[in-house]
Amino acid sequence: MQRKQRSTADQLVDEAVTALPDDAVVSREVHENAPAVVIRADRIRRALSVLRSEVGFDHCSCVTAQEYEDRFETVYHLTSYDDRTCELSLVVPTTKDDPVSESAAPVYPTAEWHEREAYDLVGIKYEGHPNLRRILLPETWQGHPLSKNYDRNQSQIVPLSEHANPIKEDSRQGDTMFLNIGPHHPSTHGVLHLEAVLDGEQVIDVEPDIGYIHRCEEQMCQQGTYRHQIMPYPDRWDWGGAGLLNEWAYARVIEDLADIEVPEYAQVVRTMSAELSRILSHLLFTAMYALDVSGEFNATFMYGFRDRDRVQDLLEDLTGQRMMFNYFRVGGVAWDVPEPRDEFFENVRAFTNDLPQKLEEYHDLLTSNEVFQLRCVDTGELPAEVAKQYGVTGPVARGSGIDYDLRRDDPYGYYDRLRWDVVTEDGCDNFARVLVRLREMEESAAIVEQCVDLLTDWPEADRTCQSNVPRTLKPSGECYRAVEGAKGELGIYIRADGTETPARFKIRGPSFSNLSALPAMAEGEYIADLVATLGSLDTIMGEVDR
Amino acid sequence: MGTVQLFPEFISQTLGLSGVLGDVVGSLVAAAVVGNIVLAFTGVAGPWAKRKITAAFTDRIAVNRIGPFGLLIIPAAAVQLLAKELIVPEGVDRPTWDLAPIVLPASALLGFSVIPMGRLGPVNLQIADPEVGLALVFAFASIASVSLVMAGYASNNKYSMLGGLRAVAQNLAYEIPLIVTAMSVVIFAGTLQMSGIVAAQTDVLFSVGGFDVPTWYAFVNPFAFVLFLTANMAEIGRNPFDIPEAPTEIVAGYQTEYSSAYFVLFYLGEFVHVFLGGAILAVTFLGGASGPGPESIGFLWFVVKIWGFFLFTQWARSALPRVRIDQLIEIGWKGMLVLSFANLVLTAVIVGVIA
Repeated sequence: MQRKQRSTADQLVDEAVTALPDDAVVSREVHENAPAVVIRADRIRRALSVLRSEVGFDHCSCVTAQEYEDRFETVYHLTSYDDRTCELSLVVPTTKDDPVSESAAPVYPTAEWHEREAYDLVGIKYEGHPNLRRILLPETWQGHPLSKNYDRNQSQIVPLSEHANPIKEDSRQGDTMFLNIGPHHPSTHGVLHLEAVLDGEQVIDVEPDIGYIHRCEEQMCQQGTYRHQIMPYPDRWDWGGAGLLNEWAYARVIEDLADIEVPEYAQVVRTMSAELSRILSHLLFTAMYALDVSGEFNATFMYGFRDRDRVQDLLEDLTGQRMMFNYFRVGGVAWDVPEPRDEFFENVRAFTNDLPQKLEEYHDLLTSNEVFQLRCVDTGELPAEVAKQYGVTGPVARGSGIDYDLRRDDPYGYYDRLRWDVVTEDGCDNFARVLVRLREMEESAAIVEQCVDLLTDWPEADRTCQSNVPRTLKPSGECYRAVEGAKGELGIYIRADGTETPARFKIRGPSFSNLSALPAMAEGEYIADLVATLGSLDTIMGEVDR
Repeated sequence: MGTVQLFPEFISQTLGLSGVLGDVVGSLVAAAVVGNIVLAFTGVAGPWAKRKITAAFTDRIAVNRIGPFGLLIIPAAAVQLLAKELIVPEGVDRPTWDLAPIVLPASALLGFSVIPMGRLGPVNLQIADPEVGLALVFAFASIASVSLVMAGYASNNKYSMLGGLRAVAQNLAYEIPLIVTAMSVVIFAGTLQMSGIVAAQTDVLFSVGGFDVPTWYAFVNPFAFVLFLTANMAEIGRNPFDIPEAPTEIVAGYQTEYSSAYFVLFYLGEFVHVFLGGAILAVTFLGGASGPGPESIGFLWFVVKIWGFFLFTQWARSALPRVRIDQLIEIGWKGMLVLSFANLVLTAVIVGVIA
């Protein structure tokens, strides 16, 4: 697919603005990443459906809600699966007294969860929302924690009676059975709770219930200073090894916002370490998926961990950490690759050289196994159209044949100067998603190899790891930027108000949107396929609940 | 085959007892010895051998800290498991809930009463040798499903319930092919008596370079052997057919609510069932206790065979994904059943023509 130039993207945005109904537009703004249009709260749905159907903004990447001194605001970050650089923000202000705005959920199903979160944390109400209730906090929670009049010192106790017996009464209509899967269950990959209604072994209805490890990450980032205090947090949104990719999300947005140049050398180091991080995450997926489909005491599971360990050793040499790397810095990376450099590069090359053979083994054990195929082919089907509606990104989207990868479509780092391919599979099923991840590891290894070659030959005088960044950063403006995380599009929105800390820090976890597509994929399937489908999404609750 | 002295008779003769007293004492002692041999296998297999075997398959080391080769993990695990609190959930249906973990190992142990485990010195390790031995052992083994349903139904847990239902569906679907395949062996041997089936496998099928290949039915009819092996895996609920437990789907199935001693009993019962499955396989297809060397070390060959089967189950567990419940049922009713009947008819025709 050819990449369109920025100028055509601008044209598209102009086209978008002219297409909008006249009475909807209040004014125009400029955000760091995209032009923004302020829309009346009672015209937003019209505006969105025009943009979606006529202009081609088919991807509602994120919905941010925030409170100003005088108003509430919802920001819809729109873009397109075909051209990621074509971005538009729709800003919908509402009054303080009556924060009601039209819901975008009928236009973009992905907005359903995002708006529930906005209601939960900020307190904006959405008219016409199919199911407006809290999503991260318990139903009985008082107040909206990210709103200005919320008393943070008032501790709230959620009484045991709210959770004493989570076994609901059977909603018996015919011969169905209500089943709680999780929050403590072997295959929910963290504290996820699925409320399932079964007919025999078949899933009639499933509703993910999230928020069990909501840790106020956004709030914590809003209290941290840009320069040093925020960077450690992104690691904690993904403990599956993708920490460096997450750090890059923050690095990218703050560097854009504060106009910080990153030295090329640092970009190469970032690219190399980030791809190692991706391999780490995909290997974890492979291991865990074998567990989901095969059950415990499984060789593939241990092989996955054996191979991960080598990557972890490499990253430990580089960053000093095996899990919470905290290696990226605003304007570069913390330090250069470890001395002796040759030895480190040799170790990395040894790993990438061995990887094809290991992947062959995974293909033998998983993808070419008949029983595995029986389980995964044509189960958990997610057609591309549905995937786009739910804002699905990453390997899950690419497994549905959507050719969408931010590393290529919205280039950053050193990716656009390296040779690699975006992997897609047309199966739209569990099998395709496994294949995508296995094949992506090959591409990542290719990127790592090229980076190592570059770094080996890099002139010694030119090895700058970090640009000069002021001790205190006080940027201003609004910016939403995303990177290709291990699970998909990891976006961060920052509204900087000229102080040392963000006024609003919003995280778009890719797993959040991917998980919202689960009901569409799993309903009507067997319970065993529900587990396999959930596994194939590779969700990590750290970035779902944040 | 009444000429071979059975284990209880040997004991009563050695003790110089006769009549009813001799029968009772002989049977009790024999049952205790055989039961303890099987339980000892389980004791070694569960906490130690299984870990070592799966570790070997998955590039690990496993238990190696306590005792030589980590062997003392066996008493340690026993103490640990038995010392745990027995948690009885609210609303369980007692005494069904308490009986289930006893029925499972009991059914498997009962099965061993008719298994000819071979000679060890002067002793023939077989408790009874009724004329309907093979039918009896299948009858005993299938009591296991009753236990799983009891556990699943009485636990007051939806996952247990699903597990129990799966167990019934699975056992129904695979017991029939299992028995029908075993019938083809009966046609060959012309008897249901266990010792008779073993005796029928002692002839020489053909010789390769001075080495006699015996008429084990695994060699005579490999197709039936593979069928039986597959159905047996499903019958004992091991991968790729471990659907009733399926930990990643239904937590632990019927076992979910059991802890402490009850859990040990279930665990034990499953292992005894694996060994019983191996024993039936050895008797019907692998010539029972026969093997090179004198007849008096037959028991050792028998042990090798059932441990070989155990190894096979662990291998499958390490390597194979699990099929889905509907696929399992489909394989059972549409595949295995048809194939096993085809095998039966074919065997009957061949035996009829030759005989």
